[in-house]
Amino acid sequence: MRHDKRVVIVPCSGIGKTYGTVSREAAYELVQDLRPDRTELIALSMLVLGDENTRDIVAENPAITIDGCKLACATKMVAESGGEVAKDIAVLDVYRRYRQFKPRGIAELNDGGLQLSRALAEELAVVVDDLIAPEITHQGNDETLKGTQIGGSDA
Amino acid sequence: MHEFLETTVDKFIFRVATDRYYSSDGLWAKVEGNHVRIGMTDFLQQRSGDVAFAEVKPIGTQLSFGDEVSVIETIKVDISLYSPVSGTVLEVNPALDGSPEVINQDPYGEGWLAVIAASDWEKDLNQLLDAQAYFTLMRGQAEEETQKL
Repeated sequence: MRHDKRVVIVPCSGIGKTYGTVSREAAYELVQDLRPDRTELIALSMLVLGDENTRDIVAENPAITIDGCKLACATKMVAESGGEVAKDIAVLDVYRRYRQFKPRGIAELNDGGLQLSRALAEELAVVVDDLIAPEITHQGNDETLKGTQIGGSDA
Repeated sequence: MHEFLETTVDKFIFRVATDRYYSSDGLWAKVEGNHVRIGMTDFLQQRSGDVAFAEVKPIGTQLSFGDEVSVIETIKVDISLYSPVSGTVLEVNPALDGSPEVINQDPYGEGWLAVIAASDWEKDLNQLLDAQAYFTLMRGQAEEETQKL
């Protein structure tokens, strides 16, 4: 079933940066595999460009931002676009909790980077559940409906 | 309150505190009574990136000038830091355990690495730069870095 309320996921758009890649991998995993019917992927570049449709979606739904560095572009752009940042998370803070998953690589992450992305996506799936239906117990990773992707997937 | 020399290179602003000495590879050493507090320079922390983990040699470790005193893991690189002073580690910054980002936030203050009981400060001093000399060196290094961008 499709929920009316969705959570928009806005990852870092830093190309050529390992932590930016981790943020996007986590976002893909969350939107495509873990919570496809509850989330919507937003390309940060569409917010930067001021795309009206994208801004409307962000303004109407709670957002989770995933930042690759302390510049926090995703969080700042959502706020500037009139959106509500329900949860902002920095990849570095996640890595500090999962030191065994050391990310390396840019175009292709190493195993550590992929494992870190997965851990981040799983944490965010819980946040999505809480935002959509706090009273419902978390449902695991077996949802099968496809999510909607707006504005491209590789900001 | 520190006083700084400051320069802008490309879009980056780098500061050098005037009240301490520097190694050419970017560690500072500040004399405090009989001890020397050490840390990373603003330039080195900016060039290295956001710090994920910082490990410093434990209290009691004997160091010679140039020995590895710390290993820093950032979002870009893992780097070894070499002691700008010889002596014994007396204190390690406890903030580095839970909040290593303090190095990025306040490299000349709360982001210090260790306090060393110096064993031959006068000799070490001969191998260090004063603030103005390091400022000139750092500006050259910064300009070289930005040309690579």
